[in-house]
Amino acid sequence: MEGIRFIDIYATKGIEYLIVISFLAVFVLFCRYMYQPREGRAAARIAPSSVTRFRVPEGLFYHQGHGWLRPEPDSIGVVGLDDFAQKLVGKVDAVDLPAVGSRLAQGEKGWSLVVDSERIPMLSPVAGEVVEVNREVLRSPEILRQDPYGKGWLLKVKSSKVASNTRNLLSGKLARAWMESALDKLHPLHGESLGLVLQDGGLPVEGIARVLGGAEWVDLAKTHLLTEGE
Amino acid sequence: MTNRTDASTASAEGAMTFRQVARETIRFVLSELKPKGKMLTPFNVITGVIILSGLVMIAFRFAYGLGAVSNLSQNYPWGIWIGFDVVTGVAFAGGAYVLCFVVHILKIKKFEPIIRVTVLNGFLAYVFYAGALLLDLGRPWNVINPIIGNSFGLSSVLFLVAWHFLLYMICEFLEFSPVVAEWLHWPKARRILEGLSTGAVIFGITLSTLHQSGLGALFLLAPTKIHPLWYSGNIPVMFFVSSIFAGLSMVMIESFFTQKAFKDRIGHELHAAHDSILLGLGKGAVGALFAYIFLKLIDFVHYKQWTYLDTPMGYWYLFEIVGFVLLPTALFLQAIRKRSAKLVQFTAFLTAAGVILNRLNVTVIGFKWYETVRYYPSWMEIWITLAIISMELWVFRWVILRMPVFGEAHHVVEEKTAEDMEVVTWKASVL
Amino acid sequence: MTISRRNFLKVAGAAGGALLAGSATSANAAQTPETSAGGVEFNGMLVDTTKCIGCRACEEACNEANKLPKPKVSFSTESVFEETRDTTTEAYTVVNRFPNEKKPDAPIFVRKQCMHCNQPACASACLCRAMEKTKEAAVIYHKDRCMGCRYCMVACPFDIPKFEYHSATPFVWKCIFCNERQQKGEQPACSEVCPTGATLFGKKRDLLEIAKTRIYTEPDKYVHKIYGEHEVGGTGWLFLMGAPEEKLGLKTNLPTTPYPELTSGFLYGVPLVFVLWPSLLIGLNYLIKDSKVDEKKEASHDEQD
Repeated sequence: MEGIRFIDIYATKGIEYLIVISFLAVFVLFCRYMYQPREGRAAARIAPSSVTRFRVPEGLFYHQGHGWLRPEPDSIGVVGLDDFAQKLVGKVDAVDLPAVGSRLAQGEKGWSLVVDSERIPMLSPVAGEVVEVNREVLRSPEILRQDPYGKGWLLKVKSSKVASNTRNLLSGKLARAWMESALDKLHPLHGESLGLVLQDGGLPVEGIARVLGGAEWVDLAKTHLLTEGE
Repeated sequence: MTNRTDASTASAEGAMTFRQVARETIRFVLSELKPKGKMLTPFNVITGVIILSGLVMIAFRFAYGLGAVSNLSQNYPWGIWIGFDVVTGVAFAGGAYVLCFVVHILKIKKFEPIIRVTVLNGFLAYVFYAGALLLDLGRPWNVINPIIGNSFGLSSVLFLVAWHFLLYMICEFLEFSPVVAEWLHWPKARRILEGLSTGAVIFGITLSTLHQSGLGALFLLAPTKIHPLWYSGNIPVMFFVSSIFAGLSMVMIESFFTQKAFKDRIGHELHAAHDSILLGLGKGAVGALFAYIFLKLIDFVHYKQWTYLDTPMGYWYLFEIVGFVLLPTALFLQAIRKRSAKLVQFTAFLTAAGVILNRLNVTVIGFKWYETVRYYPSWMEIWITLAIISMELWVFRWVILRMPVFGEAHHVVEEKTAEDMEVVTWKASVL
Repeated sequence: MTISRRNFLKVAGAAGGALLAGSATSANAAQTPETSAGGVEFNGMLVDTTKCIGCRACEEACNEANKLPKPKVSFSTESVFEETRDTTTEAYTVVNRFPNEKKPDAPIFVRKQCMHCNQPACASACLCRAMEKTKEAAVIYHKDRCMGCRYCMVACPFDIPKFEYHSATPFVWKCIFCNERQQKGEQPACSEVCPTGATLFGKKRDLLEIAKTRIYTEPDKYVHKIYGEHEVGGTGWLFLMGAPEEKLGLKTNLPTTPYPELTSGFLYGVPLVFVLWPSLLIGLNYLIKDSKVDEKKEASHDEQD
């Protein structure tokens, strides 16, 4: 007959709650694992409200190949590479600049960056004759990372066509819009995990191209700097 | 004020020692304890009197037992301290988890301006109303027993509810802590806490679902004592659904008062968006009300409740359903149609009254309705309840006047640097 | 957002359906192991209301055994029967007198005390395990654990636990079936002193047999029902009634489901919600974050031009 012995329908309740607690713990780990950046870039994590700034200062003229030009008096133009290019390739081992006296043509190969013994050429934003080369950058290429628009200038070019060249270049609002579209071309799916930004807001040393392109990063970089054929 | 900025910048560099930072912070907090504004406003005087006398009564209650201040009896072990303070108060705090779901999970930016104040309200409601539970306990010092593992009553829904209250308070505090970190000028802490936000929200919503329905499940154990018009196996689900529109109504009511009382603390963004936010909340509330009506209808049929309608309790039930469930639904729909924020606010008050009525019906009015000598709260019980509400309002006001509760919830970094550079911002996002 | 609500309704509906099914066995019992508790069977008490003469010796013995304060009115006074009494914090059992319609000069006396249910509501409700069912059947009270929340009072279908409302350190009091005496192998105090054997102590199995035998052999004397056999899943104290239960102050229309099973559906849904909700929410979060970021990029593109 029933009802004559002790019965506890909640005998397993404690274990059920323990299972729930362990589920929640494992769940946190599971989420972390699922949303880890590709190829296990261990150092990279993202604070939700951090952004990466791609500086596009006023007063400069930008070429589609991500070089910039700053006109100076006496038909001199200061030339360099922009923040996008610098972040794209990452830590530059050396810069290969044309010698003083060489002639440059707008939209043609201007100089090369040596990254990891790979040579990545960039286009010149201006036509003219090289009159000065930035020895500082040759000695310490990391200046490019810190100050690509100031101390990181690459060449000084003299040309009567500096002023007219600027007509083919972008500046101000148009330059910003162009940068946006360049970023979009680079990485249209923001939702995918990138693991690009470190917690202090800086980028990892190896550059965006490496993260996105993996083994094909050189081609990727050249594509975005418009120098695939070189 | 330079001292403070020095401390914060220095602490960001890690140059100041922890002791120095702590001392600065304590000094700051203590200075903030001084009251702002006029001391002798009517509100202050009335609530002050209530609070002081309430504290005296509470001392009385602890000295002489529950029977000395309340009308609780062997027949009616639970009165308005449970029925109103805990059960209804917690329902009203439901706005926090609903809005967290809408803003943090569904990412509907429209309600962002009010998320902080709602979370604050939720947190304070739990602290004070669930805290009022301690007043109702006969031996409140033993409340740690089921917490520290001395004796886990695992079979009890009350055990679950108690634990959830505790965990949820922690969640809500975590949710609100970025505001505190902002107030104390601790940017690093703020970033870390904001990172925990999504986890806290998800955990909070899960906990809320369970303890809102858990409060209802408590009464499943009294099938013969609660009037059949209010008892059903679905009380947990109905308490959960009603907590949604109760919480949203409370958000609307609270905004009605804070708009008036804290006009100058509210940013222009919130002022401008206020009506649109109200209408949005109204839509949420009416959706939940709609579901609730049909849940009630299902129960009505399932339990053959029509047999009870032709009794005094039946009329009372109809009064509650028609006047405080059907009518608010109709009014909300009308208000949404006419885009009338004023009508939405009025209906919010009506809905809130309905929730109070329903919860009291289940816990007190409909409880042992067959007894000849019924329970009604003693004036001291009511007074102490008012004292607790006043205390909560005082803390609420203190926080609003000092912390950036009505500031922006999220920051988009679009600053101009010193050289006035044009910057293009690219949000690299994970998840 | 209807998904989470719908899901919850489904879960709760299923859970609710399971417990509304009514039959205590089937689904619930399949999940819950019946512990044989080392082969120990319940003790019980059989109260034969037709044998009780209202002498109140049981009240007196209970009072002494539990060292309770002496009441104002002595145990031999008959005037107490003029009104129906309830147990109190100082009287764990009381005897009440009810008129007998069949024989008006022989009223029926019924005692009231804790029924020591097989699956007690109070023990299930108690969040600190202060109310506990022992395997011998007594539902005992651990003073040191009690928080004074009075949920046991709300839950008890018989309204037995009584709270000390006028004490600063209140406890809850009720009959504990003389558990200490039972542990020593003795009878509870009340059954020991009962002169007529109206209160009979024994193994529940035996008491049920005795009760059925009495009903069978004297069918006109008793109502053909053992009160407590099926009420709320069965109680430790069984009553043989000389008149219908509503005439004897016994609670009528009690469900036959044991009270712990009333909340087991909900409590079973708890782990389910704990597993489902975070999973659904994180999924939603992920999906929506993705689409929002794309949307935002497109919007800012348009703004630039």
